[in-house]
Amino acid sequence: MLVESGSIVTNDILSDDVRCMVIQVPSIAAEAEPGQFVMVKNENGGTFLRRPFGIADVDREQGRILLIYRVAGKGTQELAGLEPTMELSVEGPLGGGFRFESDGLEAGGRTLLIGGGVGVAPMIYTARRLAELEPANKPVFLLGIRNEGELFWQDYLKDFTEEIIVTTNDGSAGIKGFAIDAMPEILSRYDIRHIKICGPTIMMEGLAKLAMEQGIECQVSLEKRMACGVGVCLGCTFEGMISGKRWKICHDGPVFPAEEVFEK
Amino acid sequence: MNFERLATDFAGIKMKTPVMGASGTFGFGIEYKDFLNLGDVGAIISKGLTPLPRSGNNGVRVAETPGGMLNCIGLENPGIDVFLRDILPKVRQEAPDTAFIANFSAGTVEDYGMMAAKLDVDGVDGVEVNISCPNVKEGGIVFGTDPRAAAAVTEAVKKNTKKPVIVKLSPNVTDITVMAKAVEEAGADAIALINTLTGMVIDIRTRRPLLGNITGGLSGPAVKPIAVRMVWQVAQAVKIPILGLGGITCGEDAVEFLLAGASAVAVGAENFVHPDAVVRVAEDIDAYLEAVGLKHVSELVGQVRI
Repeated sequence: MLVESGSIVTNDILSDDVRCMVIQVPSIAAEAEPGQFVMVKNENGGTFLRRPFGIADVDREQGRILLIYRVAGKGTQELAGLEPTMELSVEGPLGGGFRFESDGLEAGGRTLLIGGGVGVAPMIYTARRLAELEPANKPVFLLGIRNEGELFWQDYLKDFTEEIIVTTNDGSAGIKGFAIDAMPEILSRYDIRHIKICGPTIMMEGLAKLAMEQGIECQVSLEKRMACGVGVCLGCTFEGMISGKRWKICHDGPVFPAEEVFEK
Repeated sequence: MNFERLATDFAGIKMKTPVMGASGTFGFGIEYKDFLNLGDVGAIISKGLTPLPRSGNNGVRVAETPGGMLNCIGLENPGIDVFLRDILPKVRQEAPDTAFIANFSAGTVEDYGMMAAKLDVDGVDGVEVNISCPNVKEGGIVFGTDPRAAAAVTEAVKKNTKKPVIVKLSPNVTDITVMAKAVEEAGADAIALINTLTGMVIDIRTRRPLLGNITGGLSGPAVKPIAVRMVWQVAQAVKIPILGLGGITCGEDAVEFLLAGASAVAVGAENFVHPDAVVRVAEDIDAYLEAVGLKHVSELVGQVRI
């Protein structure tokens, strides 16, 4: 965990409102694990607080991290206007990331990764790690997006996945509907032993409940407004379903077992 | 950093520098140990403690605002007993030589006294009495806006502890000097100001308040001129030392508070942005002292030229 001044390598347009940024931060890149995040600040900008972003991918050799973000408010608008060689203050890597369990995979079982909206971002690095850990048994990916304009995610995922199943809200690509609508087919075709999800809460809730009903180990990556990212401001806490503990999403998560977050 | 130049005795609390981490923005200090040397921190002021554990308010609890932020955490904390049993020993282990000030509030005058008694233990160097939290109904601003209630709380705390007692005032009053004089007369050893200013943000798409608690406390650079003005006003009105805070992000900001009459300062929201801020501000003050040729930071206190 540290604050590192990083130089922007690229800051490109992926769709109407989604951008991808590569930042040169060798110390953070050397430590970052799938599911962890960074807090970013433009020291010459007009906003006060840092902004949290899940680490979309890491290139340790080059000392770079990839962020994929949706332009949603003042902070991200400002970020979208930055150009290569400009400096950003990056704090991280923060949080704990996904746990990787291999039980059931040796028998041909699979891990299902699910990403919704811009929550797909941290699942890229997660898919890369799984493909490295189990090269003969790559994860299946369920990609829940708004429309065909967001199919760019496939380019980042295809090398690390066995198959990408797409759902779009408007039916312009893949299955029309929400991610959960693709689950019956996926569960019938694959022996899914582990599920990891990052996306909107409402989407994760339905999928996590389904996973719990089916007895499939499931981890969810949470997001909530936070000011500090290190467990101090207490902006992002919630009460664990089973433990009753007050968890800090930034410090104790952002990844939690599904049953600690959602009611069965 | 020249610690001889910076060493400060604040109402009997001995600190290596005059810069503290403000309550609610510095955890228990140990959360920041990867980012700064806790030994270089003037004092750690704890997250606000209460008699029982609190989970705080529901919904959105933090939001960026122009030049700062709003929060409505609602005093989430593990409660005084868990603090004394599990947290304080860890703090003393990680930061054995750093002054530690316990911030607390309660729902009744009696409970304020009880909290003070429980915190009158080794490892706690002083207490900061929170009578100014804008985000909870009980324990806080009710006592912070009525001079008689503030005095009653101060007396109850003083009666139950041998530690230096700092009373933290709310800026959400018509005349802050009235509150300052009331707690001074009631025996406070020092005054801290300002706590956050009550504010509100409305999401125009949903037409609902952005914060779960509707209103929240405003902090960050946006409040600094108000805080400096209030420190200056209170410095004219009382003799006890003042801990100045509100929007400090750098040494220059801190020097303003010292010139206005504060004997020590605390860094608040800026810790969220730059986790090494408490030490960096002390270094900046030291550089300023060097540049203007002063031998000790106390030579700045109250020296604004009117």
